[in-house]
Amino acid sequence: MVSVGRRMIVIAGCLLVIIGTGCWSTKPGPEAEVLNPDVIPEDMPLHPRENAYGNPVPKSEFSVPPVYFGYDSYQVANSELHKLQAVASFMRRTPGVLLVIEGHCDERGTREYNMSLGEHRALAVRAGLVGLRVGSSRIQTRSFGEEMPVDGGHSEQSWQRNRRGVFVLYRRK
Amino acid sequence: MERRAMKEVGGVVVAGVLACAAARGADVEIVRKGAGKSVIDVSGLRASGGPGATLFVSVLQSDLLRSGWFTIAKPGMGGVVLSGECRETSGNLRAACTVSVRGRTQTYLDKVFRDESPQARALAHAAADEIVRAVRAVRGIASTRIVMVGSHGGRKEIYTCDADGGNLTRITNMGGICIAPNWAPDGGRLVYTSFHRGFPDVYMYDFRTRVQKPIANYPGVNVSADVSPDGKSIALTLSRDGNPELYVKNLRNGKLKRLTKTPHAAEASPSWSPDGGQIVFVSDRAGAPQLYRVSASGGGAKRLTFRGNENVAPDWGPNGLIVYSSKRSGRYQLCMMDSSGGRRQQLTTEQADHEDPSWAPDGRHIAYGRTERYRSSIYILDTLKDPPVRLLSRSGDWYSPSWSP
Repeated sequence: MVSVGRRMIVIAGCLLVIIGTGCWSTKPGPEAEVLNPDVIPEDMPLHPRENAYGNPVPKSEFSVPPVYFGYDSYQVANSELHKLQAVASFMRRTPGVLLVIEGHCDERGTREYNMSLGEHRALAVRAGLVGLRVGSSRIQTRSFGEEMPVDGGHSEQSWQRNRRGVFVLYRRK
Repeated sequence: MERRAMKEVGGVVVAGVLACAAARGADVEIVRKGAGKSVIDVSGLRASGGPGATLFVSVLQSDLLRSGWFTIAKPGMGGVVLSGECRETSGNLRAACTVSVRGRTQTYLDKVFRDESPQARALAHAAADEIVRAVRAVRGIASTRIVMVGSHGGRKEIYTCDADGGNLTRITNMGGICIAPNWAPDGGRLVYTSFHRGFPDVYMYDFRTRVQKPIANYPGVNVSADVSPDGKSIALTLSRDGNPELYVKNLRNGKLKRLTKTPHAAEASPSWSPDGGQIVFVSDRAGAPQLYRVSASGGGAKRLTFRGNENVAPDWGPNGLIVYSSKRSGRYQLCMMDSSGGRRQQLTTEQADHEDPSWAPDGRHIAYGRTERYRSSIYILDTLKDPPVRLLSRSGDWYSPSWSP
């Protein structure tokens, strides 16, 4: 379990990394433009999975906290968009990197429906990244439904932390 | 009150009774006749020669009770008499059973059950089902099985057991996550989703070869597989086209048919109608998850549920009724309805979550996962009002049951 305080440190650390690597200096322009997932073309098929994923990108090199979602919602809130922008920026300047977005739900709702909802969340994040000009062939989605909570509690606070889209970056083999 | 016969289910008459509650569209009750029990005297069935014979007699008695069609009489009482002997000779069982009407020459059943291997439980299950059929002219469930997920310390594996909870067997051993198991209609194969290759893919397990093969591993999610009644196709949820949608996959030629197109909604949990012509499923296209019905060949979907914030996890039974979980006052309660959603009835009211119901092939019993204080176990519900029975007494969490054909 990560306390809120520790999470703030993680976020602050990420900002330092972002600033340090220069991505934060990007001026508002086409790069900062956010495409709402709702205006993505209806069918944007997933590309075939890679046969093998290489090593994960170490957290010391790049890390962004998960995107959090509202109850029963797959919409990416405006307050979460900076996370997508940070990932998109990193991927655009790091060509050999692939992304798996893991979609998670809280424990409420049935397991099967939550598998679909978790996938819907991961796909919404993917749509946002494609809107930020990340090639869709570099992105896969993996729903865990409610099977992998990061917080085993049963309060609203725990549920909020479990409704998430996690960025897992790999360096292509 | 208006009462009329609705459907014939293996000798059980299902009748719809219109509950005359005044205001805003009260539920319509589905009441079933034919729930009377036969009183059977089993004291004339003796065991001799070994523990297998004793086990046979006790399992048979328990099966008759669990069938819902019998009560066990005091010795010398009851209208139905079971007599005979189960004898164990050097590991082999031979059970001669006679079932007759007390005081008359009429006989329901006179049969010898044999087993070369000492499978007393299986032999007793077979005898129980024959007695249920002979006396009540309905299908028994003693020889059926239940598949489920068992969770122990983060490992979520597929297990099966007999309908009485005996003979618990672990099927998968992947050390990871398995979800949503279902039976193929031949009873010899299972389908489920497993993450053991990293992504949620659908596998089919064959009991004969003990081999599991991937049958849907498209990019994205592959989940909620349900095999069609003819065994040729699966209905499932895929996101390969960019959104979680409902598909039918032909298992012979691998062709996919897409049944829904809802870019702003997710679909889940398909279940085939008994004739294979239609599919009931969950969609959140109206905001919250609700049940819909669509033709298996495609076309528009019809919304079936309007009451309750959420209606999920449908199972379309062999009796034509759909059982599902409905959120009522913050808890999932089991409900059943006819295939048009017109008549419906709430089956549970306890303050616990009742999820993932699955019809038994007798069209009378329902297995479901019951969660209370964050612990899950599987129960058997009798739609003819016998009290629910817990399936397993073991430790761990048990959920997502599916009843074999």
